Amino acid sequence: MKNVILLTIDTLRKDVLGCYGGESFTPFIDSIQDNCIRFNKAYSPGPYTQAAFPGILTSSYYLEYGRQKMLSERRVLISEVVKKGGIATAGFHSNPYISTYFGWNRGWDVFYDSMEEEVNDKVPYIKADVLNKKVHDWLKSCQDKPFFLWVHYMDVHEPYVPEWKYIEIVDPSIQIDEEEMFRLFRDVVLKRDVSDKEVVELLKKLYCAHVREIDDGVKEFFGILEKDNLLKESVIIITSDHGDEFGEHGGLSHDGKMYSELVNVPLFIYEPSREKTEVCDILVSGLDVPPTIVYLFGLDSVDAFEGHPLIPLEDYPTRGAFGEAVDKHGSREKGEEKEVHYYLEGDLKIIYCETDDSWELYDLKADPKEVNNIIEISSVAETMKQKVRRRVRRYQA
Amino acid sequence: MAIDKEISEKRKRQCAKLVDISKDIVRQAFDRFKPEELGTTWTGGKDSTLTLWVTRHVCQEKGIPLPKAMIIGEGDEFEEIEEFVEKIKKEWDVSLEICRNDDVLKAANHTLNAPVKVKDLNERNRAELKRIGFDGEGFPFEAESQVGNHLMKTVVFNEFLERNNIKGIIQGLRWDEHPARFNDEYFEHKEMAHLVPEHTRIRPILHFTEKDLWDTYAAFNIPYCVLYEQGYRSLGAKTTTLKDSDIPAWEQDLENTEERGGRRQDKEKAMERMRKLGYM
Repeated sequence: MKNVILLTIDTLRKDVLGCYGGESFTPFIDSIQDNCIRFNKAYSPGPYTQAAFPGILTSSYYLEYGRQKMLSERRVLISEVVKKGGIATAGFHSNPYISTYFGWNRGWDVFYDSMEEEVNDKVPYIKADVLNKKVHDWLKSCQDKPFFLWVHYMDVHEPYVPEWKYIEIVDPSIQIDEEEMFRLFRDVVLKRDVSDKEVVELLKKLYCAHVREIDDGVKEFFGILEKDNLLKESVIIITSDHGDEFGEHGGLSHDGKMYSELVNVPLFIYEPSREKTEVCDILVSGLDVPPTIVYLFGLDSVDAFEGHPLIPLEDYPTRGAFGEAVDKHGSREKGEEKEVHYYLEGDLKIIYCETDDSWELYDLKADPKEVNNIIEISSVAETMKQKVRRRVRRYQA
Repeated sequence: MAIDKEISEKRKRQCAKLVDISKDIVRQAFDRFKPEELGTTWTGGKDSTLTLWVTRHVCQEKGIPLPKAMIIGEGDEFEEIEEFVEKIKKEWDVSLEICRNDDVLKAANHTLNAPVKVKDLNERNRAELKRIGFDGEGFPFEAESQVGNHLMKTVVFNEFLERNNIKGIIQGLRWDEHPARFNDEYFEHKEMAHLVPEHTRIRPILHFTEKDLWDTYAAFNIPYCVLYEQGYRSLGAKTTTLKDSDIPAWEQDLENTEERGGRRQDKEKAMERMRKLGYM
């Protein structure tokens, strides 16, 4: 394939996309499904950006090299691989965890992380329309040569202060001003206070307004590609690094929890030549993104990558998916934060929380909301536990 | 002092071409603005000094003095930079204004790391803090911290423009200093905004890479601050600029290592964003 584009959307839940069966806040993304392979069981290897992106861009696990804040020199970035293959590479985003300072700029011809810009408190990132303009300028400079472009949008991320026109689309009865929305962020979201159900519902609506907003951003992005005659020559992988919680498991936002609302993410592969949606139920992981890009460019496979190319679908192996993170909010002890892990195989998902040495096991088919912990009664509990035990503290820093 | 480096005739010609492009930008600036409407920023560092050198050549062509130069006094300068600036100011006859945010310096008792209370600042400074969305009660006096940086540099810059009626300000920015810069243009017009006068930013040396810059210094014997000989690649405030190496800047691996890797401000910026996104 000539060009490959990776479009990642921070904090985007799967269930707010119409094409995944949710109430649709994404008319544009829904409209391109005929050109897409859509994965129902795509899992992020981490429930927050820092934990997920080593998978998405280096096909390796978050805690694989200890808990360094900087990107380990031993990880191989997909940008480096593609660049060595003689293809132009560019990345555009505004997330501090994957910025130049932490070493994520390796291998990109152009890497815009926005850290030099000033942002205001209510919208502390660069919005999609501004990012799209910068991307458009770069695309103009590509001059017909093949490229790998990565764009990461932050517009769905808290503090949840969306523009009025999007709040109106979600629920025109909402009466709230920017100051109040920001106050809710500070007093409710940051404190993870789910005591008032109506407030939590309101927060989710504000979140959905942002989702509607980013759908417009994606639409604009596709418009740019079409205008420059690039859409028909590009495969576009669209996914998110993690979701967001709205009280499903007693909390808000995203930190160290491993439930579906956080780790079961949207994933599509948009192919210009495809005419009908292919829905795929194979269990796949964010780690599979870099090998897929390697495959699309026809490059040699990379030993360091732990994932597997998503296509051809028939070649994808049946295997489980792992995820890991540091328990940021749950840790009560001073000093070192503890680890959290999950392992998913078939319909069974086990979660281990080192903070209180607790295990949870869920049958996602019978109990998709993960409320019925069957760790004590399941016959496969021990086998599942063993798979996870091996991974806890495997890297002695 | 001279850079101990061999520059081939071919390379000299290449550098001369880059200098010509820069001179042309400066000439265009003089076409667009009257000499008294122009100003230049200067830090004593390698980029702004090269820019000043180019501007001086064009001024000599025209038989006019250099435009007014401003240097920001952060209160945390390297003595070596101060000495270098004094020397060049005399040699090149630079009309130099040292601009300081005296109000902030006073509130910090001229002491590094001292806490500054917002209520002790004047109206202008308080308005600026509001403009960037800072609502804290105070901040530490460190020029490399974002809030301090804004007041010590940005406010002072805007006041300089206003005070001298500057319409065009010449700056020493380069594209390869930071990946975010790739879109920057030689002439960038800034609309009037609250606390910001309308002005055009002029960047004659955008197209110079770090290597081009040092080769040009060597080829044309342009003076530079001795700190670069000691291993510094990028010079900011004294206490927060780190030295990555002990060998002269031009001998380091310029293409494969970060020019600004030693600036703590990068870490502060990332952490400030994390805080705003709800992470701390």
